[in-house]
Amino acid sequence: MTILLQLALFIGVSPFLSGLISKIKNNLRMRRGMSVFQPYYNLAKLFSKSEVISENASWIFKLTPFVVISSALTASLLVPVIIFSNPLVNAGDFLALIFILALGRFFLVLAGLDTASSFGGMGSSREMFISSLAEPALYLAVFAISLRFGSTSLVEVSQMHTLSASLIVAASALFLVTLAETSRIPVDNQETHLELTMIHEAMVLEYSGKRLALIELSAYLKQMILFFLIAGIIFPIAPFGAVNFTQSFFWLAWFLARIFIIGLIVSVLEVSVAKMRLFRAADFLGFAFVLGIVAVICAILGV
Amino acid sequence: MDCPEIISRIRKEFPQFSPLFSALVYPDELRLRVEPKDFKDTCIALHKILPSPIEALFAVDERKAAQKFAINCVFVSFKERQWIILSMDIPEENPAFESLARSIYSASLFEREIKEMFGIEPKGNPDLRRLNLHDEVWPQGNYPLRKDFKKVQGDVQGEYKFDRVDGVGVFEVPVGPVHAGIIGPGHFRFSVAGEPIINLEARLGFTHRGVEKLFEGKLYPQALRLAECVSGDSSFAHSLSFTQAAEKIAMIPVPKQAAYIRAVFLELERMYNHANDIGGMSLDVGFSFPAALAAIIKEAILQLNEKLSASRYLKGVNCAGGVLTEIDEAKKKLIRRSLKNIQRDFSELVKILNSSVSFMDRVDTTGVLRRKTAEDLGIVGLAARASGIPTDLRKYFPGVYQEAKFKMAVEQSGDCLARLKVRIAEFEESARLIGEFLDKIKPGEINRVELELREGSALGYTEGWRGPVLYWLKTNSGGLIERCKIVDPSFHNWQGLAYAVLGNIIPDFPLCNKSFDLSYSGNDL
Repeated sequence: MTILLQLALFIGVSPFLSGLISKIKNNLRMRRGMSVFQPYYNLAKLFSKSEVISENASWIFKLTPFVVISSALTASLLVPVIIFSNPLVNAGDFLALIFILALGRFFLVLAGLDTASSFGGMGSSREMFISSLAEPALYLAVFAISLRFGSTSLVEVSQMHTLSASLIVAASALFLVTLAETSRIPVDNQETHLELTMIHEAMVLEYSGKRLALIELSAYLKQMILFFLIAGIIFPIAPFGAVNFTQSFFWLAWFLARIFIIGLIVSVLEVSVAKMRLFRAADFLGFAFVLGIVAVICAILGV
Repeated sequence: MDCPEIISRIRKEFPQFSPLFSALVYPDELRLRVEPKDFKDTCIALHKILPSPIEALFAVDERKAAQKFAINCVFVSFKERQWIILSMDIPEENPAFESLARSIYSASLFEREIKEMFGIEPKGNPDLRRLNLHDEVWPQGNYPLRKDFKKVQGDVQGEYKFDRVDGVGVFEVPVGPVHAGIIGPGHFRFSVAGEPIINLEARLGFTHRGVEKLFEGKLYPQALRLAECVSGDSSFAHSLSFTQAAEKIAMIPVPKQAAYIRAVFLELERMYNHANDIGGMSLDVGFSFPAALAAIIKEAILQLNEKLSASRYLKGVNCAGGVLTEIDEAKKKLIRRSLKNIQRDFSELVKILNSSVSFMDRVDTTGVLRRKTAEDLGIVGLAARASGIPTDLRKYFPGVYQEAKFKMAVEQSGDCLARLKVRIAEFEESARLIGEFLDKIKPGEINRVELELREGSALGYTEGWRGPVLYWLKTNSGGLIERCKIVDPSFHNWQGLAYAVLGNIIPDFPLCNKSFDLSYSGNDL
């Protein structure tokens, strides 16, 4: 039951999160922008379309979307959301979450190379470049959190609703990594039509129809997972203890509002800076890495 | 500069020089004709003494009247404020001439064009691949600009060979001709080692429509409508160059009021395109707020255009011997009011761009086109000014611009930032110029009677927003156009882009490309 509930929450809300970010961005740019529900329409459209698959594509290309969506769904089950436990209690911790997401990425990178198109290989090589820089920072941030609470378990961590210096620094590192992982400006640009500048989009350019829909949905899911992790650290929330309907409504509203606040921060950031030159991403993620180290030191010092 | 002077100056470089014909046909146009054997040396001498790249090199089919092809080579002297057109005659049997490409690089593309369009062989040109008539679709032996060309015959054969860079870890990335976004078609072949670009070859010609052929046999009014459609974002500059050439042939002086009105519209065209490019550059680096602001500015100018001339892209303004669109007091007020808002928004835009570290980091030192490279390639217009070459027809052939004390924008560094700065300076200067011209416009004659075309030839030229737009026009005694050679600045500047991106990384190509913002249709005539 909780498994289904949690899957429904993630699949139901994650496209809205993307739609909301895009809406806020467009409004900031003095434009009306598309509806916040556009991602749902897009998914529905893609699911009802037939596919074009290159005749040079191997099984990797065809299998990848299913691996990616499975990894994203599994990862979303590891995040403690419903009633502060996750459906797969103790099935995995922070590290498992990161590795499961990495599995999806690994297959995406292979699929990008598989069709040997002009842009796929470019996207794959850039994705590996970015993720090889992002992952160490991500690990450090997670280590800092684990050190602070003495556990790598997401369930245990999420139940300790306190805030401290090491957690704030770790959350900042996590935020920078999230920008890179969700292909946001200043690392990548989701909105661009310029294939030569793309990172994530270049990898999946060859996909169409249902498989593309799966990949898009996985990206929405991944974004929501990462936002939840950050929100869990910087906006700690008391466990669900509501007795009546109104209380539980407000609890749930605040619960979701936290990730929308992070979405708002991301939107404002995205319209206020230009994308970095590709190799500058090393500096950007290097900064995230340093933040991670600082967080670990803070955690060791016990602040 | 008169004929004896130029002859003596050429003789200093080339002692055997003896022209068959020399005349100052118009005050700004000097013509020389030489023997085919002297053509190359004369070109080299002119290239050196003026100094000028080859602004245009083209053939004319005169076989019916005189059993020959004529080859014309256009140079410009900014110091003397003159165009120098050197020509030679080539016999119709086995037509060929000695290639200039190895001595003057800016002749290379023109020679390839002459070869494919007329079948005249530039002997010694190291690169004779076709430009616009692609081997894959156009059979060999068909020369469309010859007068006796009727329809395409034969089967297609062969394919285009790109320059190849070999080596371990060097990859080719083919991009286009179909691109994401609403832009023209062009194929770009990158040779890359990782991300850095080692070589870029642009293959264009996909929108080749045979415009020059379409001009032939047309009367002036029809041809003017055609000139407006050659390159959509420069339709006013194109129509202006065309009318200037026609007015020179007909020897009709343009009324002063018309000249002011033309200048106003030319500057409006420059402004909306510069705003568009500044927005495009910020959009290509993912900086979307200023891009949105620039789009608002561009739209405001387009709407102003529509209110003034009933055409957002200024079509139908020019006519024989003047303009059709009047600028009265009400319109003046409208322009002044709109420009005030536009300038306010624009200074806001410039402020945002200048104060954004992330944006400046992207454009600074990206896509450098060195001055020497630009000079050798014959780069013109805005891109040349950004590389430190002081060239602007508005300065050297000022006309009414003299009264407005036009100031040319020049930058030295040749990178994307320099091209951006030139655009910003020109936008502001254009707004000022329009204000000056509005003060001078008074009610009065704005066009002369429909001009009667007589036999003759002349060069029309305008500094469009990208650079000089040249129209060389030849008419017969009935006033029908015999030959119309168009040179859009994009034709020269595409090569500049190919050099500017070298050593930059692939993701910076769109930015470099936008900083030049060249026209596909202007190139693929």
